[in-house]
Amino acid sequence: MTELDLDEVGESMAPGRLGSSSPVSKISPFHAFSLLVGVGTAFLILYPFSRVLIRLFWVDGSFNIEPFRNVIELPNLGQLMFNTFALVIAGGSLALVAGFVLAWLNERTDARVGALTDILPLLPFIMPVIAAAAGWVIIGAPRAGYFNYYIREVLQLVGIHMKEGPFDIFTWYGLIFVYALYLIPYPYLLVSAGLRNLDPSLEEQARVCGAGLWRTLWRVTLPNVWPSIAGSALIVATIGFAMISVPILIGTGAEIEVISTRIVRLLNFTYPPRTAEAVGLSVVVLVVLVGIWRLQARLIRGGRFATIGGRAARGRRIELGKWRWIARSLTFGYVFFALIAPLYGLLITTLNGFWSPKTRWSQLTLDHFRTVLWFDQKTRDSLFNSVYLGLVGATIGMIIAATISTYVQRSTGKTSTIIDGIAKLPAAVSGLILAVGFILAFAGPPFGLQGTMLILLLAFIATHMPSGSIAADGAASQVGHSLLEAAYVSGASESRTFRKISIPLMLPGLVAGWSLLFVRYAGDFQASAILSSTSNQTAGKKIVEIYEMGSYAYLAALAMGLTAITGLIIGVVFALTRKRAAISVA
Amino acid sequence: MEDVVVEVRNLQKTFKRADGTLVKAVDDVSISVRSGECIVLLGPSGCGKTTLLRSIAGLEKPEDGEILLHGERMFSGKKKLEVAPQDRALSMIFQSYALWPHMTAFENVAFPLRSRKLPRAEVGERVKKTLEMVGVGELAGQHPSDMSGGQQQRVALARALVAGDDLVLLDEPLSNVDAKVRDQLRRELVEMQREINFSAIYVTHDQIEAMELADRIAVMELGKIVQLGPPKEIYERPSTRYVANFIGTVNELSGTVKGISAGGLMTVATELGDLEVPTAEGTTTGSEVAITFRPERCSISSHQVEGSLSWKGTVNTSSFFGSHTEHHIKMTESISFLVWQAESTQLSHNDEVWVTIDLANLRTLPIESDEVSDASH
Repeated sequence: MTELDLDEVGESMAPGRLGSSSPVSKISPFHAFSLLVGVGTAFLILYPFSRVLIRLFWVDGSFNIEPFRNVIELPNLGQLMFNTFALVIAGGSLALVAGFVLAWLNERTDARVGALTDILPLLPFIMPVIAAAAGWVIIGAPRAGYFNYYIREVLQLVGIHMKEGPFDIFTWYGLIFVYALYLIPYPYLLVSAGLRNLDPSLEEQARVCGAGLWRTLWRVTLPNVWPSIAGSALIVATIGFAMISVPILIGTGAEIEVISTRIVRLLNFTYPPRTAEAVGLSVVVLVVLVGIWRLQARLIRGGRFATIGGRAARGRRIELGKWRWIARSLTFGYVFFALIAPLYGLLITTLNGFWSPKTRWSQLTLDHFRTVLWFDQKTRDSLFNSVYLGLVGATIGMIIAATISTYVQRSTGKTSTIIDGIAKLPAAVSGLILAVGFILAFAGPPFGLQGTMLILLLAFIATHMPSGSIAADGAASQVGHSLLEAAYVSGASESRTFRKISIPLMLPGLVAGWSLLFVRYAGDFQASAILSSTSNQTAGKKIVEIYEMGSYAYLAALAMGLTAITGLIIGVVFALTRKRAAISVA
Repeated sequence: MEDVVVEVRNLQKTFKRADGTLVKAVDDVSISVRSGECIVLLGPSGCGKTTLLRSIAGLEKPEDGEILLHGERMFSGKKKLEVAPQDRALSMIFQSYALWPHMTAFENVAFPLRSRKLPRAEVGERVKKTLEMVGVGELAGQHPSDMSGGQQQRVALARALVAGDDLVLLDEPLSNVDAKVRDQLRRELVEMQREINFSAIYVTHDQIEAMELADRIAVMELGKIVQLGPPKEIYERPSTRYVANFIGTVNELSGTVKGISAGGLMTVATELGDLEVPTAEGTTTGSEVAITFRPERCSISSHQVEGSLSWKGTVNTSSFFGSHTEHHIKMTESISFLVWQAESTQLSHNDEVWVTIDLANLRTLPIESDEVSDASH
């Protein structure tokens, strides 16, 4: 069974390769290397994915629709579906609107504060969502949550006495709020790029024609960045359906269960794992995502959108007047809620040694940090594992992505297009499904990778390939074709050109991509929720385990440690590459 | 027999458009370049000139035909042979210069030598010498982003010359610098080419550039070379209306061949009456032809001139251009001619004048049946 699939994938790639290079008799070593990397990546993604699909109809060697029946017979299926859709639609819409508003304010008005505003909304990327969710539990819980406590203290001054609240993170609105908070950077990034590529003179023309600010925004700006918004919606939905961190920490407390958390529980918190139901539920997600994907394709195809031609001059920014500081406070407010507030909660709890809003400021100590991160070997190992996976995985992932992007850019054959499509596939099928596929494909014989670091590494590379690949594509497309051709004509071989021209010029983009991958890998709680066990514990998985045991000081210390390490490594990487990047960009 | 550097035989290259239609970018082209010669591929955008150049460099893969460099086969459709660009021992200057932004001028120029694994000392020496030769020796340590367009162009030229390849391909290298610098660089390029004596294939859509640089011009249209010859021949004896119109300005008078007489003359019926003109190749009685002549070859007078062709017309506009004066003369409702005169006599609107042209300066060219007959300016 396994062998058969292997052969099929291998052979289906072969005719394309021969077709694309017909009159040339020999294939250069670099070409062969690119092809090998491409086919290997395709296998890593397609094989587990196909195992999920096969497992749906094919149980123990015979045709069987049992998985479907199992799904339908799941208790509370209706409730589960309602919860999931409610969360994705409400939280996703909130993230889209907020992302658009932040992007528009920073791209089109004088609310921006230099380059700082470009970075601010992206800062929360540094904090692994699982750590941020833990932070929000600590600051937002109704009784012991720091925020609620501080608000109660203030209210007491004006004579209002409360025992708990006023806010409760363990509710629908709390869940939607935190969930949206960590989806905002995606629409922000896409819409900013869309606005930057939209010729400002289109909007200026509308203003000259007598349209007011709102009319221009509504009739000219919005319709023209529609592709970016539709793309954001797709990404938000894909990430949203598969997001486990926020639902498992906050949703569990609120007794709101969604599909993703149920899949994790069926596979990893139930013994024996109930794979059939988990697979069935994954397919529900897949069907929904394919639907959204097609809808988005139609939306974009139907319209006519203006784009920039060449290098256009920056348009004059809209002056907000007295609204300027309100607009700015939105950006700062976002950074406060997404990054500073949860970090504060984690930090104080760690230094305090236990979770209590009544901070004993004089007795804060780093001892707990040391206890958790150093003396507890299991926690230390999990943290070490995550950082190791982040460093090694992001490096391998980015090398693969850069190789594929360069290959696709240079090659006109069908093979490269197919490989590129497969590399982007995990973005549409959600990491959750792939992780389930990795269990089916690699956990058992002949691979027997259950509980190893390798299966995590492979799963990380496969599930996050689209992020790396898109970053590398952007970097590769900035390296003009003629720069490579000039190298060939100068007598440089393909691999020399790749090393001396492509890689140095792509470096800023590759570093950005690497950083993104590193944070995703190190803070992963998607693949690791399903694939990680005691022998290959990751920090993300450990955070959830500690949470379930209820030791919040531990939880805070580990989450804080994870955030500190990712922040530190990203900082160092950017500091080291900034000088070289500046040259390449100029 | 002179030494042939490049030989292209029956080259074919087809592109597929986005809508699926096929475009023959290079259509059965054969051309050879002699040692030390500069050939200019001239034509409008989309005529296939750049594709032909890139095929010679090995950056495009033709479907059929052969490319030989120094008699050695670099590409052969029949034999399924293709030598990679890095193994062809030629240089190329790109329209965008394609200087690597992360390298200094020195590193850029050193790259071809380092790729060919020359010893370190020799690399340094040759790079310095070449940078000085093109006049940017002092820029060695600078990055391309700190240079002007003209300086970048010189560095690109140095990079192309440093390896000492005797074939340099140039893809519209001067189109990105401003007019004054362009003129100067063009003159220097001519000098350098004569001095170092490399062969060059130069792609441009600018006929003035072509005239100045070329030993021979190959005018291209729709993937084919329609005429190949020295600039003077192309200008004075264009083989088609397309060539006549592309190189310089031309007046056209269309008509139908009424009869061919002895002595290389034929009678053509035109709107300005029957004319006795030199015969054109491939025309028979009844053929549509265009009688063409250059604006600087005709003259204007207040009376009819005997012994030449002379037509009466009225002045439409008269503009002074410094080097010459251009008169736009209306002959009939649908026909008007341009006349360039060295002297700066301004004529007034509606003045009656005679346009005179010597028979020897006329060239009769066939009108292809599929051509739109826009035989007047």
